[in-house]
Amino acid sequence: MSIKKTRDGKISRRTVIKGAAMGAAAFAAPSLILGGIRKARAAEGTIRMMGGPTVALEDWSLFEKETGLKMEFTPFHVDDVGALYNEILVNEAGERFDLINTLAGVQKNLVQQGMVAELDTAKLKNYAAISDTIKRSPVLYAGDNKDWSVPLYYNADSFGYFPEKLGLPRPPDALDWDLLLNSEQTLGQTALDGDNIALMIGGMYLKNRGLAEIGDPANMTASEVNTAANFMIERKQAGQFRALWKTYDEQVANFVNGEVLVQRCWEPAVKEAKAKGLDVEYATCKDFHINWMHATFIPVQAAERDNLDEIYTAIDWFLGGSYAAELAVLRGYTGSRMDLGLAFASDNDWPQDKIAQIEANIVKVDTKFSNPDFWIGGAPDDLAAYDAEMARFRNA
Amino acid sequence: MSAEPIAAGTTAAPRRPRAVSLERAAVAALTVLWVVGVLLPILSLIVISVLQGRGLSFIWTVSFQPYADIFVDYRIETVLRTLRIVAVVTAIEFVLAFPFALWLAKGLREGWTKSILLVFLVVPFFLSPAARTIVWRPILGREGLINTALMSSGITDAPVDWLLFSEFAIHIGLIGPYFPSMVWPIFISVSLIDDELIKASRDLGATAAQTLRHVVLPLAMPGIAAGVIFTAIPMLGDNIASTLLGGGQVSLIAEGFDDLIRAMNFPAAAALGSTLLGVFILTAVLIGLALRRRGGGPDIFAGMKQ
Repeated sequence: MSIKKTRDGKISRRTVIKGAAMGAAAFAAPSLILGGIRKARAAEGTIRMMGGPTVALEDWSLFEKETGLKMEFTPFHVDDVGALYNEILVNEAGERFDLINTLAGVQKNLVQQGMVAELDTAKLKNYAAISDTIKRSPVLYAGDNKDWSVPLYYNADSFGYFPEKLGLPRPPDALDWDLLLNSEQTLGQTALDGDNIALMIGGMYLKNRGLAEIGDPANMTASEVNTAANFMIERKQAGQFRALWKTYDEQVANFVNGEVLVQRCWEPAVKEAKAKGLDVEYATCKDFHINWMHATFIPVQAAERDNLDEIYTAIDWFLGGSYAAELAVLRGYTGSRMDLGLAFASDNDWPQDKIAQIEANIVKVDTKFSNPDFWIGGAPDDLAAYDAEMARFRNA
Repeated sequence: MSAEPIAAGTTAAPRRPRAVSLERAAVAALTVLWVVGVLLPILSLIVISVLQGRGLSFIWTVSFQPYADIFVDYRIETVLRTLRIVAVVTAIEFVLAFPFALWLAKGLREGWTKSILLVFLVVPFFLSPAARTIVWRPILGREGLINTALMSSGITDAPVDWLLFSEFAIHIGLIGPYFPSMVWPIFISVSLIDDELIKASRDLGATAAQTLRHVVLPLAMPGIAAGVIFTAIPMLGDNIASTLLGGGQVSLIAEGFDDLIRAMNFPAAAALGSTLLGVFILTAVLIGLALRRRGGGPDIFAGMKQ
C-alpha cells in the first residue's frame, strides 16, 4: 500500500484508517460492491447530492421543471462533523456525489485536504449579487481570495422560552442570554446543547459581557476554551441547567414534558412545540445570536466528471428564487437570495400568508444579524481542546 | 478440556478422512475469521492508541500523548463512575433474576404460562433500545407520573428533580433492558440441574436453604458467570440510558467514546478502548483467581459440556 502524504507531509488519516481497516474490509464487502454500483450508475441528467435533512424540499418538482435535471438526495446528519469528515475522507463520498452540503466552516479543512473543487463563479448567474457579508462571512471564506462553496441558507439561533409562565414579552421585544445562563428565576430549569456549541455559547457570553478576552468564540484557543468551560462549569454547579440535549427530539420533549422554562434550541423545535399547543416563543436577543449557515461545494472527484455543467446549473438553481421561497416557508430559514425568493413568490401569485413568511425572513436579516461577530462553523481548529473541556464540563 | 474433541478427531482420522479434512477446514476458517475479525481490529486499536493525531492527520511516531489525554482526573472519574454503576446494576439484576430464573426453571411446570414468560424474555431484544428507554421520561420527569402522584397526594410540594437526568434515572433505565441477559443463562444452567440431585439433597435431610447453597448454586455457577458477563460487558458500552435519561448530567464512558470520535481524536478514543480492554482482562483474571481459591475455578464451565 502506498502511503499518501498530505500537504504538510503528514500521513493522511485516510491512509492510516484504510490500512487499519483492511482486515475489517472483508466484512464490508457488500457495501463496497454497492458503492461500486452507485458509482457506475452515475447517469447524465441526474444530480446526486448529500446533505443535511433540512436542505431537502418535500418534493423536487420545481427543480426538475426549471433545470431539466433529476435530484437524487441523500440525507446525512452534517452537524456530526467527525462522521461527515469520515464519510468524505475515508469513504470518499465525492466518488458518489456531485454536491456535498455541510455546515459552513466545516469545508475549510476539506479545502486544505484538497477534497474541494474551486468554484468558477462566472458560471453562476445568481452568485454575484449575494451580499458580501454572507459571501465573505468568516465561516464561509477560507481567506485565500478564492471561492470554494456557495451559501445555501442561514439563520440566527437563540433559545425558546415560555413568555406567559416567565412574565416576559414576546418577540420582537428583545431578551438577553442571562435568562438561559445566569438567572435565579430560571435556576434548574434551562437546557442547552450537549456538544461543543455549549462552550461556544459560554465564550460568546463572556466576550459580549467583556468578562474575558476571547477572539472568536467559535474557534477559541485552548486557554480561551478553558476559560469558557470554567464559566459554564460554575453555572452548572450553581444548578442552572436541568439537562444537556443531543438531539432535536430531546429539545421538543423537554418543552412538551415541562422539564424547562428556557431552552437553547433550534427554531423548528419551537415551531413544533407551538404546533402541539404550547405557548413557546423563539427569542430575539439584544446581546447576540448564534449565526450559522449551510454551504455546498463540488467534491474534487465530481469536477473531473463530464456532468460539471449540469452541477453548476443545479447550484445556480439553489441560489435562485424558487428554492429561497420554498425553504423560507418550509423551515423558516433565510436563503442567500431572498430578493429572488420574494420576486418568485409574487410572480407566481403565492398566497399572502406565504409571502408574509418570506418577508419575515428578510426582516430577520436586519434584526438578528446586526451583530455579525458570532458565527459558528462546524470545526474549530483545536477540536481536541474543545472535546477535553466539554468532557470536563459534562463531568462537573 | 478443550483437547478432547481434537484428540477424538485425530484418532478417527484413518477411518474417516473426509470428515477430518472438513473439520480441519472449518477450524482453519474459523481461526482465520477470528484473527481477521477479532485480533486484527484489536491490534489496530492498540497501534492507533500510540499515534498522534493532529487535525485530520496522524503523525507516524510512537507517542503516549493519547494516554496522557485519557489519564486526567475527569476522564478517570468517568471510567470509575461507569464501573460503579455497572457493578451496582449487575448486582441488582442478579438479585432480581436468580429467583425468577429458579422459579421459571424448577418451580413452573411446562405449559402455556412458561412459554409466554419465555417469549416475554425474548421480546425486548426486538425492540429499539431507545424506544424502551425513552418511556421512562414521562414517568420520571418533573410533570411525570411519579411527581404528579407525589404532589397530588401531598407528599411533596414541588417536583422531585433527581428522578430524571440523574444517576438514579440511569440505574432505572439500565435494569429493564439487561434483565433478560441475566435471566437466560441462569435459567438454562438451572434447567440442566438433574431434579434427582435436588430430591436426594432433600432426602438426606437438607433444608431448602442448604439445598440452594450446596447443590443449586454451585451447579448454576456457569450460568451465573455467563449472566454476569453478558450483562456487565455490554452495559459498559451502553450510551442509550446515559444519553436519554442522564440528560448530560452524568458522564459515562460510552459517551466519552462518542465525543472523542466526533472530535476526530481517534488516538485518544483508541487509548480509552485499550485501557478498557485492559480493565476487562484484569477483571476476568481476578474473577478467575477468586473462583480458583474457592475451588470452583477450572470446572466453572464444566456444566456447559452437557
